Amino acid sequence: MEHFEFDEVEFFRAVQASEVRALLIGRRALVALGLPVLTADYDFWIHIDDIQALNGALEPFGLTPTRSSQEARRTGRYVLENGEMVDVLVARSVPTVDGVTVAFDDVWKRRQELDLAAGVRISLPSLDDLIATKRFAARPKDLEDIRLLEILRSEVEE
Amino acid sequence: MSRKTKPPSSETLARLRDYAERRLTREEVEAALHIPIGEEERAKVVALVRWFRRRYPTPLDRLAYVRRAHRRWRPETPRQKT
Repeated sequence: MEHFEFDEVEFFRAVQASEVRALLIGRRALVALGLPVLTADYDFWIHIDDIQALNGALEPFGLTPTRSSQEARRTGRYVLENGEMVDVLVARSVPTVDGVTVAFDDVWKRRQELDLAAGVRISLPSLDDLIATKRFAARPKDLEDIRLLEILRSEVEE
Repeated sequence: MSRKTKPPSSETLARLRDYAERRLTREEVEAALHIPIGEEERAKVVALVRWFRRRYPTPLDRLAYVRRAHRRWRPETPRQKT
């Protein structure tokens, strides 16, 4: 496999330039907000119509999709990989473990943006929505992350 | 005196991974999230966040730190979903 030196700024710049409606979720979103947690991959929730645009934007990084766009739309997620692993959720809406349906369009409207570098911004769900996304998979570590986010949220509100 | 430990087998790692990645039930989630966040826990997390934001003031600094940390902590293990 060809080795690519991964440039994180250029990676996010490419996502932004593609105009893909992409929300950084998962633990990297927590890290960006100031919570020091460990993670290996990137998790995005994108609009279901933006799969090909994201794939095209990240192709120069050697990132290739594990599923066709059609299959990704059907299954609701896929991975872009080549050394880095980008886990992509593409569902229009996702139910939480307690049965609440969270719609991408609503989360996108409420998104927050962070400056990453000159001319590069990343979009994240609001804190409330980020907590909701942690109820999608509902793994033990997601519960830990929810507690961290709730403490962060209470600090923001103070 | 240092003591070498035998690394876990791939089967053990797979079982541990399955256990850690399992989806909890609604009841398990509700039970866990109903445990109140105590003052000590809150203070520890707030202190950690303040340190992290002071040491790594920008989102880019923080993301870069985590990339470095991950490489340092898991240099030879195959990449797994986290």
